[in-house]
Amino acid sequence: MRFRTLFLLAGIFMAGCVSVEVCEEEYVSEMVARFKTMKEGTAADTTVSALSLYGIREGKIDSLFYDSIPASGFMVPLDPHHAYSSFVLQLDTLRDTLTVYYEREAYLISYTCGFANLFTLDHIEPSTGVIKNDSILMDMIDAAYETNEVHIWLYL
Amino acid sequence: MQHMKRMRYISGSIFKALPVLLALVLSGSLSAQDTLRTYGPRFGLDLARLIYLFTDPSETGAEASVDFEVYRNVYPVFELGFNSMSDSRELFDYSSSGAYGRGGVDYNVLSLKDRSAHHGITLGFRYGMSRFTQKVEDILIPEVYWGDFQAEDYENSLTGYWIELVGGMKAEVVSNFFLGWSLRYKILLNPDMDPVMVPEMIPGYGTGGEDRVFGFTYSIYYKIPLFKK
Repeated sequence: MRFRTLFLLAGIFMAGCVSVEVCEEEYVSEMVARFKTMKEGTAADTTVSALSLYGIREGKIDSLFYDSIPASGFMVPLDPHHAYSSFVLQLDTLRDTLTVYYEREAYLISYTCGFANLFTLDHIEPSTGVIKNDSILMDMIDAAYETNEVHIWLYL
Repeated sequence: MQHMKRMRYISGSIFKALPVLLALVLSGSLSAQDTLRTYGPRFGLDLARLIYLFTDPSETGAEASVDFEVYRNVYPVFELGFNSMSDSRELFDYSSSGAYGRGGVDYNVLSLKDRSAHHGITLGFRYGMSRFTQKVEDILIPEVYWGDFQAEDYENSLTGYWIELVGGMKAEVVSNFFLGWSLRYKILLNPDMDPVMVPEMIPGYGTGGEDRVFGFTYSIYYKIPLFKK
């Protein structure tokens, strides 16, 4: 009886020495953009009534991030395979292509979660003039997203 | 993948040895019945490292030590060792290997009437340094939209520094042969040694992700009897 009790206690003790780790952190680095308009020299938040957005991917079919929904901005992952990411935005009835240029490096989140990409924004190029101007507020984009974190403003 | 918490693993054999060691120390009766004390360098080998071969085969290492009683109850001590580990994970492969050294002093707080008895309960400190290389390969960063990304391999040679508070016991089980254990509280002095990646294993210290860790050694020693006085 005593041996079984000791054996059971030993088993409980050894079970405490083994643990299974689960990743509970974000590991995708996403760029956050906000739409702005200039009113009397001041940038003001604005909302488009229908935003559709997808990324231009080589050899893959288009897949929408946003499908004709009202939005004051958007959040998208950047392409780690290239030094730029291109997105097609449809703002109401108008369409523009936005190319974001950056540098990329990997960094360790944790041994459980592995690595993520750290993007450092360089510059932004819209194409058709729907997006009139842009500003980079925070050039470093990592996997940890903080509330109200915004990386770029796009002026409509 | 399961990960063994090394600091929480204690060998059952150590528990068995502790009361034996304590009895030997308190009796102080193993040495010869003379008042001459034997002096000489005492060389040790950490047996606890052998336990890792069974509990964590991905880690190998060895540690040796030498101490000498230069003044009554005062023992300068030097420890040298090496550690190597590799860990193949789902998202990357990690390896770390290198050598380390520690230097410090132990003070014997056990007072025995028989000067020829060499058992001891010691308190001491160490300053430790490690030179090692860590390498990360086959890094995979999951990315649903753009496609999973294979990052470049990473390698860096580093130096770690730490201090230790040490407490332990040594018992002379047979003439000039000792068994002993020590418990160590380690404080890492340069936790930000690598801005890209925290070392998983700093040889001689432990996991680099923690500024404070506990360590344990269980060693066998032999003292070369140079002279008696």
